[in-house]
Formats: sequence, structure tokens, C-alpha cells
Amino acid sequence: MILNADNFEKEVLKSSLPVLVDFWASWCPPCKMVEPVVAELERELAGRVKVGKLNVDQNPGIAGRYHIQGVPAFVLFVGGKEVARRVGAQSKTQLRRFLEECLGSSRGSGER
Amino acid sequence: MSKDHNAQKTCWNCPALELRGHVDFRACGQSMRKFMTEGQAMAECKRRPELGLFDPASLTFEECPEWEEGPYGYQLRDMRVLILGIDGYLGWTLALWLGSLGFRVAGVDNFNRRRWVAEEGSHSVVPIAPMEERLRAAKEVLGIEISFREFDILDNEKLRQFIQEFQPEAIVHYAECPSAPYSMVDFQHAAYVQHNNVIGTLGLLFAMRDLAPEASLIKLGTMGEYGTPLTGRPIFEGIFPADAVLQWDGREWSLGGELTPRDPVSFYHVSKVQDTFNVYESCKYWWLRSYDVMQGVIYGVHTEQVAADPRLRTRFDVDEWFGTVINRFVAQAVVGIPLTIYGSGGQTRGFLALRDAMQCMTRLILSPPEPGQYDVVNQISGVYRVRELAETVARIAADEFGLEVEIQRLENPRVEADEHPYEVVYEKLPQQLGFEPQVTLEEEVYQMLKLLIQPSIRSRIEAIRQVILPKTRWSGLHKEMDVIERYKVRPRRVVGLGAEGGGEDDPER
Ligand SMILES: NC(=O)c1ccc[n+]([C@@H]2O[C@H](COP(=O)([O-])OP(=O)(O)OC[C@H]3O[C@@H](n4cnc5c(N)ncnc54)[C@H](O)[C@@H]3O)[C@@H](O)[C@H]2O)c1
Repeated sequence: MILNADNFEKEVLKSSLPVLVDFWASWCPPCKMVEPVVAELERELAGRVKVGKLNVDQNPGIAGRYHIQGVPAFVLFVGGKEVARRVGAQSKTQLRRFLEECLGSSRGSGER
Repeated sequence: MSKDHNAQKTCWNCPALELRGHVDFRACGQSMRKFMTEGQAMAECKRRPELGLFDPASLTFEECPEWEEGPYGYQLRDMRVLILGIDGYLGWTLALWLGSLGFRVAGVDNFNRRRWVAEEGSHSVVPIAPMEERLRAAKEVLGIEISFREFDILDNEKLRQFIQEFQPEAIVHYAECPSAPYSMVDFQHAAYVQHNNVIGTLGLLFAMRDLAPEASLIKLGTMGEYGTPLTGRPIFEGIFPADAVLQWDGREWSLGGELTPRDPVSFYHVSKVQDTFNVYESCKYWWLRSYDVMQGVIYGVHTEQVAADPRLRTRFDVDEWFGTVINRFVAQAVVGIPLTIYGSGGQTRGFLALRDAMQCMTRLILSPPEPGQYDVVNQISGVYRVRELAETVARIAADEFGLEVEIQRLENPRVEADEHPYEVVYEKLPQQLGFEPQVTLEEEVYQMLKLLIQPSIRSRIEAIRQVILPKTRWSGLHKEMDVIERYKVRPRRVVGLGAEGGGEDDPER
């Protein structure tokens, strides 16, 4: 999902599901290279975690509000609050592990 | 052919965009950290000032009237493309190709290549006209107007003046010395090649920073920058994917977004690697945008435009310094010199036909990277062993033209592995940019033979016989190579191009 100033509140802050936000920029090669990994996770985790992408140049206000200092930054929001973040390129395994560690208690049955 | 690869790109990608507002931070995961500020990235359009300040992500190429549908995707009307090295093999071909698609083309050259080839006592075996005549013929025959300036791109003042004047929306940078053996002749040649290539590119980057930061730079690199990793690991498109991980000491990191290792194979290739870093850094520091094109070896003589008139032909060199492998084989076959392969001939490389290279360049020009984006494409359409290529050329020459062709193995003048694994990833052009190869190796070899076998050209090949076989060794010695083996290729009909017959069912296959 593409996030911007218009939908951030509704899709992230008011979301009932946890949301992983990928803060990215076009000039950032690691951001480009994690794109396919993030897209795969989005499909695989559908229904458990929502995944959104926010371009920091197009939305500097939001990026500033969350003190994004480096991209790609993966920020996990639960109940509208930031609960954890990772900065820099991540492999799919790393991102999945990050999410599972953070959401451990709420992990659905049968996964793993 | 696929046209919709760029329909959904937005003004964000368009060279007519002028960014305004908060765009001056840089905080890539691999580089510096800085706080981002409140505010909104806004833009103005240089072509449509009536839009005023607007959000650059809100308008797609498909929606913008300045972008019109063309054969290779949406095309910016009268898009201004500056070709550096426009007198060269690829530069001249591209100028005519783009011109006939409706681009506005300007170009620079100082005729270095004509001098380098003359230095060796060689010439382009397909005769080429002087620039004035080329320009006149382009106008007369194809109705294309090209603005040409003669100067050395190392003359930064002149380069700046011309960029200022022409206001390019894309810059194709071909103007380098492209020869590996030439760079290995001696210290003077190595230093010259590196200076010409590296400093020329560096000066261009500074000029773009100041005068054309929104133009996209299509910078020619080469597949030779990567070398041939003996582990057989894939040769990615310049940048590691996120799932490539570094494991060490029980820990793990993603390499995603980092440049992949380079292992250049001559001092010429080193100059290209240095360029790669200079371009990469400029995108990082100044928000320039660039495709760094890791191009395979180009072969062929043919596009519709260069074939339209003898004065429009592009150069075709077959000497040991400037001839590239398939082109050389064809010339050797025509004058009865055994096709020379080095060592076992198991060297594997990526190749691309001239006409397909033009299609790739067009697609890259029409799909500019985003501001600050450094991107890399591996520009090839297939991978072949040198030995296989020699055999293919020999067979077509024998079957279709009745030529007697031998292949000879020489001791390898270069320092390289004769046999090695080679797995190249080349996905961006076909998958993201809609590139579809239109030319097969066999067809193009056939076309080349047909042209080169004409008596007037054949005699031009005969005239430079003495500079065809390699003498430049990577070790510094200058002498002819020993012959290891010589063999004849037995004719078998594989292609059936033009000549009668052509047997898929040939028993010797
Ligand atoms: N032909 C190939 O197989 C191939 C493969 C991979 C990469 N490339 C790269 O593509 C580019 C073009 O290759 P090409 O085969 O057309 O070579 P080329 O030598 O025919 O073209 C380069 C042109 O640039 C000009 N030039 C060089 N230095 C200059 C300078 N300082 N100022 C002004 N003009 C200058 C030359 O006179 C020449 O006309 C090169 O950068 C080359 O490294 C070519």
C-alpha cells in the first residue's frame, strides 16, 4: 500500500492490524533492493500485518515527525504507536524475524 | 513491442521537472544520517509553467500531454538528447536512430577514435564519411537535423557552454576510449586511456550538477567491469539484492543496495570502474540520476538508418586494438585469415546486436531514473563462448557464402581465465523496460558477411591485414602469439538464411 499525508492517519494510526511502514527514497539503492522482499512479505502476512510504503521525499512532514534519520527505515506501528524499528537493508528472513519477535504474543497459530 | 513500461512513471522521473522545497536531505541506510524536516516536496514543470507549484507524484507520463505514445513507450515530445562521442560506432548509429524517432539530437566528438585507429595504421573497413558529410546526408536522406560541436570533452568550459546552450534532457555518454588492448600497450597508453575516460566523466558530472541536474545520464560501462568470478556466483546488475546476505562470525547482514564487487580485466576496464564510483557518488551527493550501463560486446553493422546511404554508415573496425570479437571474426572469414581464439576459447561473455543496443538505449532514455537514483543495467541479449562464436561465423561463412574458413587457437595475450562459470543476471531491460531483442546472432552475422564480402570492402580489409592478429600482450611484450592449434570447420547448414536449402534435418548437427 502506498502511504501519503492524506491516508497515513487512517491506514496507519487508526489501523486495527499492526502496520509495518517502509520509509524509503528513490535515491537510495538499498530501498530499491528491499522493495521485492517487502512486497513478498506483504502478500505472505496478509491479514496479520499490514505493509505500507512511504516515500520520504514526497512526504517529508511524516518522515520528520517520526525522526527518520536514515532509509530504508522499517517502523512497526501497533495501535497507532511505534513499537520498534529497523534501519538499513534487510533480507526477507531478517524482516520476518523482526516482525515475529515484535509480534510474538499475537502470532497466529499454525505459522512457523 | 511493449510500450507501456513507462506509462505509470510520474513527473518525479521527468527531466522537465524542477524540484522546489525540501529536497536537500540525504540519509541512505548506507550513508550519512541527518534529520528530516517538515515541509512538502513540490515541483514546477519547465515545459508547462502554467501548472505552477504541484505535487510531482500526482501526474503520470500517460496523463501528461508532453509525453506521447511512441514505438518504445511514452516519448517526451522533441526530447533533447546530447550524445557525447557522436562520431563513434555506437554514437553515430544512435544519433540517426533517435533522430528518426523524433528526438532532438546534439552531439560532441573530437575524432579521437579516428586518430587512434590511424595511429595503428588501420581504418574503418566500412568507409565512413567526414562529419560534415554525415550531417548533410542525415538531413538530405532522413530529414534529421543534428547539432554537432567538435571539441574534447575534457575541455570543461566548452562542455559547459554546450550543455547550457542545448539544455539536454538526457545525456548519453559514449565518449571514452573503448579499447582494452590499447590501454595495455605501455604506460603512456594506460595513463592516456584512464585520463581521457575518468577525467572526461568527472568533468561531465560537475557540469551536470551545475547546469543540468534533472537530465538523466546514460553512462556506458561494460560487462568487463565485473570480471568472471570463479565461484560461479551470479553477476548481479551492479547492486546486490536484499536477500544477498553476508554471514560472518555467526552474524548476518543484508548486502541489499550495496555495489557488487568489480574485478576489471584491463586498465581500460579499470577506468570504467572508476567511472562507476564517480557516477554513483554524484547521484548520492547531488541528486543526479543515472543508468550505468554494463554493456556486453556489441556486434553488427546494421540499422535501417545507417544502411540508408553509404554516407550514413557507421564505422566498423576489425584491428587488434579496436575490433570487437564477432566483427573481427566476420572480417577474418571474408579475407581467409583463420578466426583467432585465445587459449581454449572457453571465455564466456555477454553480447548484443547493434540494433538491439539502440532499442535498449531508447528505452533507458525514455524511462529516466528518479532524482538521485543511481541504477545499473546489464545490457546484453545472450551469453556465448568465444569458441562457439567462431564456429557460428565459420559455418555461416561456409554454408551461405561458400568461404573456406579455419579456426586457430593462439596463446592467450591476455591475463584471464579461458574456462570459467558465468551466470549473468540481465532482467531489468526485458522485465522492467520492455526490451525485446529483434536480431538473432545468425541473422546479424549473415548481414555482416553480406556487406563485408563486397569487393570494395574486402579490399579495405586486405589493406590492414597486418594489424588484425593480436600483438599486444598484457605482459608488455609486443610480439605475435604462437599458434596452438588450427582446424577447419566442417560446413553444416544451420541457418538457411537467403541461400537455398538450409536443413534443420542435417545429419551432422
Ligand atoms: N562497442 C562495444 O562493443 C562496447 C561494449 C561495451 C561498452 N562500450 C562503450 O560504449 C562507448 C562507445 O563505444 P564505441 O564502440 O562506439 O566506441 P567509439 O570509440 O567508436 O566511440 C567513442 C567516441 O567518443 C569519442 N571520444 C573519445 N574521447 C573523447 C573526448 N575526450 N572528447 C570527445 N570525444 C571523445 C571518440 O572519438 C569516438 O568517436 C564507449 O564508452 C565504450 O567503452 C562499447
